[in-house]
Amino acid sequence: MSTKAIESLSEDTVRRIAEERDEPEWLLETRLNALEALETAELPDVIQTPGRRWTDLEALDFEALVDPLNQSDTTERTAGDDEVVVAPFTEAFDEYGDTLEEHFGTVLDPEHNYLTALSVALFTTGTFVYVPEGVDVEDVKIRAEMNSRSLFSQTLVVAEESSSVTILESIASGEESDVEGDRYFSNLVEVVGGENADVQFGSLQNLDDDTYTYSLKRGVTDTYATIDWIESNFGSKLTRSDVETELNGDGSESQIVGTFFGSEDQHFDVNARVWHQAEHTTADLVTRGVLDDVARSVYEGVQDVGEDAWSTSSYQRENTLMLSDDAEADASPKLIIHNHDTEASHSATVGQVDAEDLFYLESRSIDSKTARNMLVEGFFVPVLEEIAVDEFREDVEDLVVERLQ
Amino acid sequence: MSSQDHLKETDTEARFEFKKEEKSAFKTEKGLTEETIRVISEDKDEPEWMLERRLRALEQFKAMPMPTDWPEAPDLSEVDIDQIVPYIRPDIDVRGGVDDWTDLPDEIKDTFDKLGIPEAEKNALSGVGAQYESEIVYQNMQERWEEKGVVFCDMDKAVQEHEELVKEYFMTKAVPPSDNKFAALHGAIWSGGSFVYVPEDTTVEMPIQAYFRMNSEGMGQFEHTLIIAEEGSEVHYIEGCSAPKYSAFNLHSGGVEVFVGEDAHVQYSTVQNWSKNTYNLNTKRAIAEKGGRMEWISGSMGSKATMLYPSTILKGRGASDNHITIAFAGEGQDIDTGAKVYHNAPETKSTIESKSISKDGGRTNYRGLVHIADGAENSSTAVECDALMFDNESTSDTMPYMEINESKVDVAHEATVGKIGDEDIFYLQSRGLDDDDAKQMIVSGFIEPITEELPIEYAVELNRLVELEMEGSLG
Repeated sequence: MSTKAIESLSEDTVRRIAEERDEPEWLLETRLNALEALETAELPDVIQTPGRRWTDLEALDFEALVDPLNQSDTTERTAGDDEVVVAPFTEAFDEYGDTLEEHFGTVLDPEHNYLTALSVALFTTGTFVYVPEGVDVEDVKIRAEMNSRSLFSQTLVVAEESSSVTILESIASGEESDVEGDRYFSNLVEVVGGENADVQFGSLQNLDDDTYTYSLKRGVTDTYATIDWIESNFGSKLTRSDVETELNGDGSESQIVGTFFGSEDQHFDVNARVWHQAEHTTADLVTRGVLDDVARSVYEGVQDVGEDAWSTSSYQRENTLMLSDDAEADASPKLIIHNHDTEASHSATVGQVDAEDLFYLESRSIDSKTARNMLVEGFFVPVLEEIAVDEFREDVEDLVVERLQ
Repeated sequence: MSSQDHLKETDTEARFEFKKEEKSAFKTEKGLTEETIRVISEDKDEPEWMLERRLRALEQFKAMPMPTDWPEAPDLSEVDIDQIVPYIRPDIDVRGGVDDWTDLPDEIKDTFDKLGIPEAEKNALSGVGAQYESEIVYQNMQERWEEKGVVFCDMDKAVQEHEELVKEYFMTKAVPPSDNKFAALHGAIWSGGSFVYVPEDTTVEMPIQAYFRMNSEGMGQFEHTLIIAEEGSEVHYIEGCSAPKYSAFNLHSGGVEVFVGEDAHVQYSTVQNWSKNTYNLNTKRAIAEKGGRMEWISGSMGSKATMLYPSTILKGRGASDNHITIAFAGEGQDIDTGAKVYHNAPETKSTIESKSISKDGGRTNYRGLVHIADGAENSSTAVECDALMFDNESTSDTMPYMEINESKVDVAHEATVGKIGDEDIFYLQSRGLDDDDAKQMIVSGFIEPITEELPIEYAVELNRLVELEMEGSLG
């Protein structure tokens, strides 16, 4: 497959972005390499079964969607604690340049695919989160609004030994934005989980339905580290979301909790993947989604247990609730097991609101719409319970209720 | 080990691991050309339409890509069609097989005797056919079924004697050559196989059996099985396959088509034990009409690489499908198998139960597809995969795909992977079993859901094959 040439994209464009932001030489180099990689890089893998590709990324008109020099966002960052660094990259270079250089692009290879390369070459916003050894912070918040045709964002979290941090990141379309037509948002997140570190990264995407989004979040764990992800997708016209953890340290753990709610003609391609590469590693993947109208979901979950991953525990569950006959839910939960000393399981279900439950509620004089909504809200409870931060859980609950109106 | 056990074992080993000097009356050149196909078709004295279908399939074969772009697909780089001998007719006088066992040439008789075919027939079968290389060499159907209009004959004979039925159903509805590259290959050079026709409201109470044996080095076997079960009928067909091991690779690319009429019931059981240089690339599909019931029971033991996904199209309201499969991969084997079910009508049901065992570096993969079409309301499917692994070198994957276009459905998939429980082994050892016997017993328990669906001879054979695999004494 040939790549999508974008005319406005050139070395000059990339240099201008780097210069305006007064970036160090190494980052410019990384950007230029990513730009060069675009010539050969492929779009992300999409599930195919005979006769069909489950998500049609080829159909995206990148030429029309990508406007690199007019990116604009409003982003609020709160750290909640002086000991942790939460800053845009541009403000972090002076003091933390070395740490940035050491980790940037090590968890997530910028040249991984066409969309990651595009993102690294062009990103103008993003956040650096640095949690020094032993520091414990609970309320790092990054609330962003997108105000331009395209926006490329990059987040790097470095959690040092025995630190602990909870980060909530949300993205929505800005109300002030006067851009007409389709838009594109790209978000890459890298998390370095140091020895015995504990990182929770929550993400809430609620962009308007003219926006296409691509996000790839990947964490790497050292010994005894834990990286937990919460990935919530409500907005956008088409979302491709990948959340991945490489369990590289003995005894390390990861949980990936996903929720999505699709209505009208929204399309969600949601993926959760873990690689067990060390002993006594544990993973738990839980995804729940609801589909209404002609919305569509594509789910792939991968539990890959490497040869050296002794005593692994790996679990995966995916449940989809269909509210409409015209919706479509496709799923492929995959187990790839190279070590026999493994306890692994996965399950996936698709169903509709239970008729008996509905009947029971109606017989208690609850009208049918309210009854249905109660059951849908109830369906999300098992994943909501996994969200430890009240504020974030309430945001998700509110969005579910809003959708059901 | 008692002397009796020892005898039993050498006997079983001999059953699967002997080979005969190749003796053939007619053999095509290696490779695949239009000329080869014309020769096969002429040698079989086929009608013009069949030759045309073969030639069209050849064109499709040439145009189609190898299935190599699948995630973690088995390595087929060694499969070079130009190195395959597509057609060998054994040297026997009677074309289409003899119907008396004693009329077979001694060598062939001996081969099938060792495989236990005549005993099986005597004991429990309605009919039995045996294919040696590319042709059916023996065929028999018990009279009482024949009288009721049940047809069981080899496919080449069916082309001559049941031309209208074959013309209507042969690779037109269930497995068109365009389905995949190896279905196209099969369509071009198919030879032999079974034809089963069961008239309306007829129940064939005992299983019908066909046994396929590849004996020559570097050959391909491409038998075609066509089963037509009319409304309200019932039949159980069993197929067994084996081939000894040679240094060159063998290719088995069969085609199976099953038509399950309204309220009919077909069970198709296979125990496959191709030698470990065989590429087993089969296409099997059933179409079930209203209220029809299809059951696939498969044991995949042998082959170097298997890519086989028996498939059922639930076409009529209330049709149902059950898949029970077991795969066993030892050293150097890649058994990529699963099930495909298309729910194309309301109130259709399917269950898939898949078990796999991998050891000594073998790989098993469950690759499945469940498709529920828009309008297939009140359908349900349950998929359950269990994998048992013996060691760290082995691999076990599960790759189900589910395409759900209808909301009023009940879809469930579950898979688990585990090792043999140390505690279970300890428990059995504490009861005086040695380590190997303990493992053997656990494996037998693990595959029991499959064996209990098979007639006793097959259950015994499957268990025996598993035992041999566990001991590493095969292949």
